Amino acid sequence: MNSPLESVALFYLGPVPITSAVVVTWIIMAVLVLGSILLTRRLSVTPTACQAALEVFVEAIDGQIRDTTGAAPAPYRAFVGTLFAFILVANWSSLIPGVEPPTAQLETDAALALLVFLSIIWFGVRGRGFGGYLKVFAAPNPVMIPLNILQSITRVFSMFVRLFGNVMSGVFVIGIVASLAGLFVPIPLMALELLTGLVQAYIFAILAIVFIAATVGESKPASDEAASGQSQ
Amino acid sequence: MNIDWWTLGLQASNVLILVWLLQHFFWRPVAAVIAKRRSDTQKLLDDAAQKRVQADATLAEMEKTRAGFAAERDAILVAAKTDGERTKAQALEAARMEAETLQKAARAAIARDTATAQKASADQAATLAVDIAKRLAARLEGPAVEAAFLGWLINAIKALTPAEKQAVADGTLDLVSAQPLEPAEQTRIEKQIIAAFGTQPEITFRVDRALIAGFELRSPHFLLRNSWQADLQRISKDLRDAA
Repeated sequence: MNSPLESVALFYLGPVPITSAVVVTWIIMAVLVLGSILLTRRLSVTPTACQAALEVFVEAIDGQIRDTTGAAPAPYRAFVGTLFAFILVANWSSLIPGVEPPTAQLETDAALALLVFLSIIWFGVRGRGFGGYLKVFAAPNPVMIPLNILQSITRVFSMFVRLFGNVMSGVFVIGIVASLAGLFVPIPLMALELLTGLVQAYIFAILAIVFIAATVGESKPASDEAASGQSQ
Repeated sequence: MNIDWWTLGLQASNVLILVWLLQHFFWRPVAAVIAKRRSDTQKLLDDAAQKRVQADATLAEMEKTRAGFAAERDAILVAAKTDGERTKAQALEAARMEAETLQKAARAAIARDTATAQKASADQAATLAVDIAKRLAARLEGPAVEAAFLGWLINAIKALTPAEKQAVADGTLDLVSAQPLEPAEQTRIEKQIIAAFGTQPEITFRVDRALIAGFELRSPHFLLRNSWQADLQRISKDLRDAA
């Protein structure tokens, strides 16, 4: 087992190293996109069982966004929903033998956190204007500006570390147990990993929308601490 | 710990591309279907509400029409009752008139039948009376009856006007009797008749038992009846006329 803190390139595209996390991410992207195309090609007003399940999923995402922001979910649905779906599938990909989930690598989780950080800025500027967005850092008074700037970085960093730590530790524990105890012993741990993967994906997506809502200013009161408390 | 910035950038790009692809192929179509169903449902609800309003209006209109029907029904019933009573009165009047006509006809028929019956009874009675009289008269034969009828004949001749006597003076007279007369008796009667006429007619004697009794004088233009038969015929005619 390689160190989860190191990325091993499978091959290079010019100067760009292609790691296993990138390859698995492409496979997950292909599965998600092809699955979406297959599942949504015959949508109708009278739904099938499969379409009903899809609609329940989308309605659940919309409900979470609506409950958190108090606004219409459409502008945030694609970003938050895709984050949730990608992290969930990436976490569960650890159940396939020989596949290391991309979220168990630092770069993938850092990339996700970076996207959340940028999306907060994007939605904040779009919702409040550039000046309005900057004023967020001066709340409740200008003295808090350094702390707010630090908080905007650390809260995203904490998301990245939380996701990486949970997924990487699960994969590591399963790998160690499998190497020590045999083939079927890690199964309960893998089942637990299913739950952990689902919870982590949910937490990451919810924290993203909470941070976005806090910046845009349309959300109900929700603090980083409270949101962090959910993850523990 | 070593972060591969190329991988970090690739993964960020991958997730951004995935966001765009899923937005295009998943989130937007599913959300559109949900929105369409929601709008369709809302439209159905709106249509249902509108149709309910229309149904209420139609119901109110029907109630109004039904009330109109009730009034119209009452009017029709009143008109029908009036017509029925008028028709009943007309039928009763027609029946009464027809009954009266039938009653009159029946009365007339009864009266006619009664009259016919009375006439028939009278005729029968007259016939019976005449028959009785004939039988009785037939038993009154003899010289006295002959003499009486001869006397009545002579008186009848004498009662004739001179013009009537003159009309038969030159002709031939048949003296019809019920019984054959002896020559002597014929001579005697001829003399009395000639004396009564006062002229000299030619008299021939004939017998007709239908006379029962009596004498009659006959010529082509003269008839003097004087017999039980003539008397009975006259009586019978009088009886029938009286009936």
